[in-house]
Amino acid sequence: MFFHIVMERNMQLHPRHFGRNLRENIVSKLMKDVEGTCSGRHGFVVAITGIENIGKGLIRDGTGFVTFPVKYQCVVFRPFKGEILEAVVTMVNKMGFFAEAGPVQIFVSNHLIPDDMEFQSGDMPNYTTSDGSVKIQKDSEVRLKIIGTRVDATEIFCIGTIKDDFLGVINDPATA
Amino acid sequence: MSGEEEENAAELKIGDEFLKAKCLMNCEVSLILEHKYEQLRQTSEDPMNQVSQVFEKSLQYVKRFSRYKNPDAVRQVREILSRYQLAEFELCVLGNLCPETVEEAIAMVPSIKTKGRAHDDEAIEKMLNDLSLIKRFE
Repeated sequence: MFFHIVMERNMQLHPRHFGRNLRENIVSKLMKDVEGTCSGRHGFVVAITGIENIGKGLIRDGTGFVTFPVKYQCVVFRPFKGEILEAVVTMVNKMGFFAEAGPVQIFVSNHLIPDDMEFQSGDMPNYTTSDGSVKIQKDSEVRLKIIGTRVDATEIFCIGTIKDDFLGVINDPATA
Repeated sequence: MSGEEEENAAELKIGDEFLKAKCLMNCEVSLILEHKYEQLRQTSEDPMNQVSQVFEKSLQYVKRFSRYKNPDAVRQVREILSRYQLAEFELCVLGNLCPETVEEAIAMVPSIKTKGRAHDDEAIEKMLNDLSLIKRFE
C-alpha cells in the first residue's frame, strides 16, 4: 500500500552550499539522497512531495559541515503481511512465479498456486488449469495475498499466495 | 522490532505509525506522481533519467492499476468511502480492488467484519453499490 507520511532526516551540508540558495540546496540534496531508497520500517520512498520545515543548523566542530534537521512529506510504498494487492507477473518457472507491484518483488511458490494449475514449459512458460481456461504467464495481472516479507537494509522482498478465495488471474494478456 | 513480527494487514495490525498515516489509493498516487513527473519535464530535458527506478516502477504500476482516472471521480471515491467509518488502510484496499460482492469485500478486507464494528452485509452492499456507480458515470 502507498502511504503519505512525514519523515525526518538530518542533512549534512558542505559550507560551499551556503548562501541565498541554501534552502534549494538542502531540498535537492534531500531528494537525491532519499528518493528511491528503501528501509524495512518505512518501505520504499517513491517521491518527496513537500518540505514541512527545516530546523536550525548545527555546525560540526572541526569540519565546518552543518547539519540541518529537515521534516518532509513523502509518498512511500510499504507492503504488509496479510495485504491483498494486484501485481504484474514478470517471470514464470517450475518453482513458481515472480510478480511486481510497483517497486516490490513478490514470489509465489508453486505450492501456493491452486493445485489444478499445472506448469507448462516452452518459450512462454506458464501455469494453466487442466481445461485451459485460466493461464498465468509473463505480463498476466494477478491478485495475490502477501503472506511473508523479508526485509534487509536496502530491499523488501515478499512471498505471496493465490491459493485463496477471490485471488488469482484478473487479466490475461493472451485473451485481452 | 517486536511489533513488526506480528503485523497482519487482515487484522489491521500495521503498526501505529502507518495506522495513523494517510493511506493513498493507486489512483491518488497516480495523480501525485504524474504531477511530479510533469514538473520535472518542464525543468529538465531528460526526465526519465532524473527519477529513481522506484519512482519509475511505481508510476507504471499505479497507471496500470488505477480504477479511476479522472481526478473528480478519485475525490468522490474517497468521500463516499469515508462515510462508512473505515480505517484509512481499509478504505484504500477497497478503493484499489473494487470488490463486486459483499463476500468478496470481506475476503479482501477481513477486518471490516471483526467484532464491535457496525458493518452488516447491507451496509457493505450499499457501499459497493455507491462505488460501482462512480465507476459507471466516470
